Amino acid sequence: MKYVLLAVAAVVTLAAAVLLGPADVPLRDVLGSPIVWQLRLPRAVLAFLVGGALGVSGVALQALVRNPLADPFLLGLSGGAGLGAVVAIAFDLPGPWALPLAAFVGAVSAMALVYRLGLMGGAELDPRILLLGGVAVGAFAAAITTAIVSLAQATELRNAFLWLWGGFSGASWTTVLVILVYAPLPLGVLAAAARPLDLLALGEEPAQYLGADVRRLKRLVYLAASLLTAAAVAVAGVIGFVGLIVPHLCRLVWGRLHRALFPTAFLAGGILLAAADTLARTVVAPRELPVGIVTALLGVPVFAFLLRRWTVS
Amino acid sequence: MDRELILALRGVTCRYPGAPRDSLQGVSLEVRAGEFHAVLGPNGSGKTTLVRTALGLVRPAAGGTEILERPASGWSRRDLARVVGVLPQREDNLFPQRVRETVLLGRYPHLSLLGGVRAADHAAVERALVACDAADLADRWLWTLSGGEYQRVRLARALAQEPRLLVLDEPTVSLDLRHEMELFELVRALVDGRGLAALVVTHHVNLAARFADRVLLLLEGRPAGAGAPGDVLTRETAERVFAWPVAIAPFDGRPQMIPLRQRKDPP
Amino acid sequence: MGRWAHRTHLAGLLLLAAVPACREAGRAPPPASLAVTDDAGRPVALTAPARRVISLLPSFTELLFAIGAGDRLVGRTTWCDYPPEAVRVPSVGDGMPPNVEAVAARHPDLVVLYRSGPNIMAAGQLERLGIKTVLLDLNLLEQLGPAARRLGVLTGRRTSADSLARAMDSLASQPPIPSTWSLVFIVWDNPPIVIGAGSYLDRLAALAGARNVFHDIGSPSAQVAIETIAARDPDFVAVLSDSAVPPRYAGRPEWRAVRAVRARRFLFLPGQLFGRPGPRVAEAVREFRRRLDQAP
Repeated sequence: MKYVLLAVAAVVTLAAAVLLGPADVPLRDVLGSPIVWQLRLPRAVLAFLVGGALGVSGVALQALVRNPLADPFLLGLSGGAGLGAVVAIAFDLPGPWALPLAAFVGAVSAMALVYRLGLMGGAELDPRILLLGGVAVGAFAAAITTAIVSLAQATELRNAFLWLWGGFSGASWTTVLVILVYAPLPLGVLAAAARPLDLLALGEEPAQYLGADVRRLKRLVYLAASLLTAAAVAVAGVIGFVGLIVPHLCRLVWGRLHRALFPTAFLAGGILLAAADTLARTVVAPRELPVGIVTALLGVPVFAFLLRRWTVS
Repeated sequence: MDRELILALRGVTCRYPGAPRDSLQGVSLEVRAGEFHAVLGPNGSGKTTLVRTALGLVRPAAGGTEILERPASGWSRRDLARVVGVLPQREDNLFPQRVRETVLLGRYPHLSLLGGVRAADHAAVERALVACDAADLADRWLWTLSGGEYQRVRLARALAQEPRLLVLDEPTVSLDLRHEMELFELVRALVDGRGLAALVVTHHVNLAARFADRVLLLLEGRPAGAGAPGDVLTRETAERVFAWPVAIAPFDGRPQMIPLRQRKDPP
Repeated sequence: MGRWAHRTHLAGLLLLAAVPACREAGRAPPPASLAVTDDAGRPVALTAPARRVISLLPSFTELLFAIGAGDRLVGRTTWCDYPPEAVRVPSVGDGMPPNVEAVAARHPDLVVLYRSGPNIMAAGQLERLGIKTVLLDLNLLEQLGPAARRLGVLTGRRTSADSLARAMDSLASQPPIPSTWSLVFIVWDNPPIVIGAGSYLDRLAALAGARNVFHDIGSPSAQVAIETIAARDPDFVAVLSDSAVPPRYAGRPEWRAVRAVRARRFLFLPGQLFGRPGPRVAEAVREFRRRLDQAP
């Protein structure tokens, strides 16, 4: 029953995203309107996909570091992406894909660096070092970014920060296609890791005794979750909070087994972000709010409400 | 006829990286089906290392481990989990769960990647709960259980794996008398009734002596005695290993160790 | 002890009393003939017209030359490129933030700064070195006149400054002419940033007879959706650019929803003339009108 509600919510959210907007598109013109097909629909689909990726990534990372407060951006990815974006603008790299590609490369570089740090304790990935390393790498990247911005002093760089704060204004069908081609692999890896991740919650040693190859599991989950997040940042900037709150919401409703959590987190994350983007576009029209602010404003009261219901029952 | 050899350690020597001395040195052990083995020794004698080595988590510097006569390194973790059920000393419980769910985790080594949980799995969970006298706890939240109940549930989870060997690492720490006895009785019943092998690491010498068929006594990683409890637990050996004067008194055909008082006169 | 000590004590007391009197005397400024209040609310007073002026904003450099005080300039920023004579004035850096040491090394008697956070701090540092500073706002057309007037007072070029200010004030008070065209100023594409009513460019457009479709947004700039721009359907997309090359985003599929982008109807406005409020505002308006009329 809950699954049905979730599916319905997804459809409703996507419909709202397509029907609502600062431009006045009458209902009968919707199907033929270029604004709907070229702007609203790809934007809604992209927001949904990115939200889903962030939700799944958040679930995976919280299981990996065994910390319910983990957020995909804790691992230094946002710092790396910001640095990439700033480099692309400061050096005026050519091509319409320069910015997202540079952000992606920056995020992946940060991921690789944190991964290397995480292996420092030995041959096995230590989740505690991952968290600390992520914070350190993120801060380091942010420092270099600030240095470049202060030295280069072009107004464009200030606008780079605006991009980084997150938004779907650059959405197009091409972007959607890129995500659709790219995301299934990391998503598939995480889906296969669902049951071992249930075991990991008991601790690394108990998980091994119950049949999980913990060493391989940690590496694969970290890589898959980071790649998903890196793609999300490259396409939409840094949108925090979704990866943190969606796993909790889903756990409250569907329990902690990852076979249920992954698909529901994908849908819930997609719904949250698509709804947030619709609000960001319409609430202060003709202006737009950064999406990250809206996700925070939406997520917290919903979470508080669900938490109260859960503790009361 | 010799019972089936489930677990064998042969001359195992281990040292953790950066450690000043070996954690285990020249330890050998054979556990057969239907046998209850206990591993005893003071703190730091290498008992937990022995468990980890036996299950292939730690690679020995010398010697080898075999499970069902195959080297431990040749087993995938999944296959091994279908043969050996372990109760480790420590376990986390990050998210609230019910007893039935936690016991179901024991079925994971049997679940296929794409397949779901089948009726046979639920039946195995039921049987495991009944065998551990925990059937009435099935719908309780884990965090509401007492220490003894919690251990029974974990044992049920290990049983749900349908293993040939049960390994329990200090299962009676923080349990009261009644629950200690209940747990040991339960393990004994499973060994006798189902032909399981059991390897129990404990610091509770007297319980081990009462229930175990064979005992391995460790001191600083080296074997200080191996065999039937009556053969291993002599006063000389016990005093050497535990560094305290003791008396050994028989009870029910088994030696019981009684520590003597050492009066310290004020200077 | 006795009398000798008593006299010393008295002398000491007199000395002590004299010190505050001297300090009081030091505080009182000599009668100043040239005094203005700057836009940070500070009184700025000179005893004689400024002879060594440093300008830290291209608009102020232009203004100083326009009021005939260009020969007083001993320092400018690297961005100050108009009029051509300005380039001969030594540069003291790009001014963002101002290089206090470089400025001080030129021994100015007046430094003109644009009022912004970092500049307020720099002004404080310069004042501590004994250098007079004046902080002026220059974001809007209306602020050109007052800026010119005050610079005229401080440089002793009151008459030229006042006539220039009158011209700019009359331009500022001109009623908007009926607009024949509509446009949008796009400053950035991802996310889309447009210029709103609170800005100089919006005013220029109105004076040139073009309606900014985002005139309803009060702030100087704002983030909007491509969809909004498409819906408001401006005739032109205006960009600050020295070349006539269409911006990169023009080729992207999502921007094709905007008619002006599809039809390649861009207005390229050189930054030197249009990017900053300055004394050439009338010329800017004329040039704007010309480009509008000449566009395909």
